[in-house]
Amino acid sequence: MIFGPITLGHYLALSGFLFIIGLAGVLLRRSLLIVMMSLELLLNAANLALVAVGRFQGLPDTQVAVFFVITVAAAEVALGLAILVAIFRVKKTTAIDSMANLRF
Amino acid sequence: MIAYAPYLILLLPLLSAVMTRLFLHPFPRVAVTSSVVACLLSFVGSLFLLASGTPSGGMAAPMIPWIEFAGFKANFGLVADPLARMMSALVTGVAFLVHIYSIGYLAKDPSRSRFFGELSLFVFSMLGIVFADNLVTMFIFWELVGLSSYLLIGFWFDRPAAGAAANKAFLVNRIGDFGFILGILGTWSLFGTIGFADLPSRASAAAAGWAVTAVGLGLFCGCLGKSAQFPLHVWLPDSMEGPTPVSSLLHAATMVVAGVYMLIRVLPVLELSQVTMTTIAWVGGLMTLLPALIACQQNDIKRILAYSTLSEIAYMVMAVGLGVTGPAMYHLMTHAFFKCLLFLASGSVIHGCHEEQDIWKMGGLRKRMPFTYMVTWIGTIALCGIPPVSGFWSKDEIFTATASHPGLAAVSMLAGFFTSFFMLRMILVAFGGNPRGEGAKHAHEGPPVMVVPMLILAVLSIFSGLFPVQTFLGGDHQGHHASWTLWVSLVLALAGFVPAYYWYAGASQDPLSIPLLRGKFYVDEFYQRFFVAGQDGLARLADAFEGWVVRGFIVRGSGVMVRAAGQGLRLVQCGQVQIYAAVFIVGAVLLLGWLLRVGAFK
Amino acid sequence: MEQIFFWSLAAGLLTAATAVVVLRNPVSNAVCLVVGLVFQAALFITLEANFLAAVQVIVYAGAVMVLFLFVIMLLDVKEEARRPLVWSKVFGVAAGVVVAVLGIPRLVASFPASQKTLVWGEGKTASDAQSLGTLLFTSYAPLFLSTGVLLLVATVGVVVLCRRDPGT
Repeated sequence: MIFGPITLGHYLALSGFLFIIGLAGVLLRRSLLIVMMSLELLLNAANLALVAVGRFQGLPDTQVAVFFVITVAAAEVALGLAILVAIFRVKKTTAIDSMANLRF
Repeated sequence: MIAYAPYLILLLPLLSAVMTRLFLHPFPRVAVTSSVVACLLSFVGSLFLLASGTPSGGMAAPMIPWIEFAGFKANFGLVADPLARMMSALVTGVAFLVHIYSIGYLAKDPSRSRFFGELSLFVFSMLGIVFADNLVTMFIFWELVGLSSYLLIGFWFDRPAAGAAANKAFLVNRIGDFGFILGILGTWSLFGTIGFADLPSRASAAAAGWAVTAVGLGLFCGCLGKSAQFPLHVWLPDSMEGPTPVSSLLHAATMVVAGVYMLIRVLPVLELSQVTMTTIAWVGGLMTLLPALIACQQNDIKRILAYSTLSEIAYMVMAVGLGVTGPAMYHLMTHAFFKCLLFLASGSVIHGCHEEQDIWKMGGLRKRMPFTYMVTWIGTIALCGIPPVSGFWSKDEIFTATASHPGLAAVSMLAGFFTSFFMLRMILVAFGGNPRGEGAKHAHEGPPVMVVPMLILAVLSIFSGLFPVQTFLGGDHQGHHASWTLWVSLVLALAGFVPAYYWYAGASQDPLSIPLLRGKFYVDEFYQRFFVAGQDGLARLADAFEGWVVRGFIVRGSGVMVRAAGQGLRLVQCGQVQIYAAVFIVGAVLLLGWLLRVGAFK
Repeated sequence: MEQIFFWSLAAGLLTAATAVVVLRNPVSNAVCLVVGLVFQAALFITLEANFLAAVQVIVYAGAVMVLFLFVIMLLDVKEEARRPLVWSKVFGVAAGVVVAVLGIPRLVASFPASQKTLVWGEGKTASDAQSLGTLLFTSYAPLFLSTGVLLLVATVGVVVLCRRDPGT
């Protein structure tokens, strides 16, 4: 069944795997830059799922949603990097461990 | 007008006491005068009351309403029936003599205003007991008398022994009062009234049973406390720490006999149960003998007299237990006179020997204080029941009542033997021989204020046997004279003098040594071991509980638990974003799983 | 045909994604991410969303990733140091991977809509610029305008965040 015609399920499964990989990156990497890149992977997984569902169910609106997601992702990256730069100026490193100031 | 007399008699001493307390402490002469005058006026009023009433009629003073609900009536009322009139005359009379004596005894004491204020308070309280017309009113004054006793015993409060004795008196009394209260409540519950006027009719209508016995015994508890009978007798010897006038007035003549007076008032209730009456009679009987034995080995002159007081009160209690209240009141009256006399005499001795109380440090006083010597002899003869002095008549009536109870007769007559023994011992050691102590060498008689009351009391001790007390009680509680008890008791009483003379004439130290008697049968020690130590143990247990459970476990424990919870919850705030994200993901996954299971996406 | 494209593109995408997560040099990571985004665009094309594929390449790969690379170069971020392997972490990761690999297909298969097959040319959505634009400017106009505001805010925010103190 897996290797038969491509179905919506395939696309969704792919999206899921991509999501998992991105999640691993977010949770496990030490450098803030890599974490942000993994965040992009997560968003992309969502985009993929949206487009696939829209294609198979005949909904053009999901593509509009993807449009917005990309836009917001861009804005988010810009701001995130700005913050990263600001922190880097003080801490001289991008390691997340050094940014745990709000601990008990 | 006459109807208000009891109130007047009652309240004059109170007025004196209040004024003394509030204003007169810095003016001892005024305080003393007001107290003595109040007592005198009360005495005059009592005599007036005595003379104007008919022997068998009573009169009730108007009542002040107090508690009335659901059928329970406890109003503040005074009654002046013959018994009350006689008793009030006795109390105020003896009190007046003691007041005069105290002027001399405490002439140099800086706190004598306080003394006289407290003495007036006592007179007021005692008269309250005498005139009370129901058990609740009597109980109020009962407690007031206890308070006065506490204040007077501890008059020289800078002496720790005095404070301790005052505490002991009050606390032991309180124990008796507990039983008394239960008895009062039981009386109301069983008979529907607590007034002395209604009790006879209501009681005779009731049936006997264990409840009535219990109530009777409860009321008897009050007597045990106030009149110092076994097992609550331990406070009376200690109460001798107070000044001698206090010992003579309160703890010989008046306060301690309040218990007997109360028993006579509630006799209708007691008579319903044979068990109660027998108990009362036997407690009285045994208490005639035991203190007499103890007194044979005591060396403090006041303590000897205290134990003899215990014994004599027991005679009265035994008489009540046998159902003959006439002899009990008769003996109460004669005992008031000669015991008060003996105490005043001992006070004179103590005062003369410069505060020495040990009889073995006295001696030779018959030459240096002849008047005191003579009155002491008069009092002793009255106490031992030698005819024709008053004590003989009253004691003999009580012996007559025991005629049909051989056990009680034996015990009480044996007590008479020992009474004679220790009284002669006291006289021989304190007055006979040669002076053995510094104070005794320079002894002298007291001033006239101290001598005159003793003289009056001596006369009364001799002649009060002729006073027709019986007529004041009427009814079927009269006493009679049986012949064999008269002779046996007389022989035993005289026989008691013989060994005392043999051992103690001219003795300079005690030839006898009986530790059991000297140690007062170790009752105090038993109480200390059993009750006080037990209470201590309980207190320690409570303290440990409080320390460990309450302070440690609950108070500190809750603090520790909160802290531990805080420490645990702290870990949530690790500061690391990735951990937060991980927790978030886990939560989201769980939520998703649950939604899928619930079927939200169908 | 669909199958060949799908499987090759899927493999490429997953490899690139894994590389992003695993590699240590940030530049390598960024480049791999670009590659992944391009593969993603290709997948969009297989789904007949041509406009979006173009948008993805231009905006996402072209602007966002370039921004990333700018910052990496600016900060001169070094290679991330090797850390000692924490076996608990390894175990956790492995367990997670296993659960995912086993669980996701089952999860996906439970949706009834997953059975629909892909046939090119049958897509009923008109997905060219015109139709998308119509949707965007009519039905979702408020959202579109809000996004504009969002971007403005982002711009201002970035400028503010990166300002140095007047004193320095």
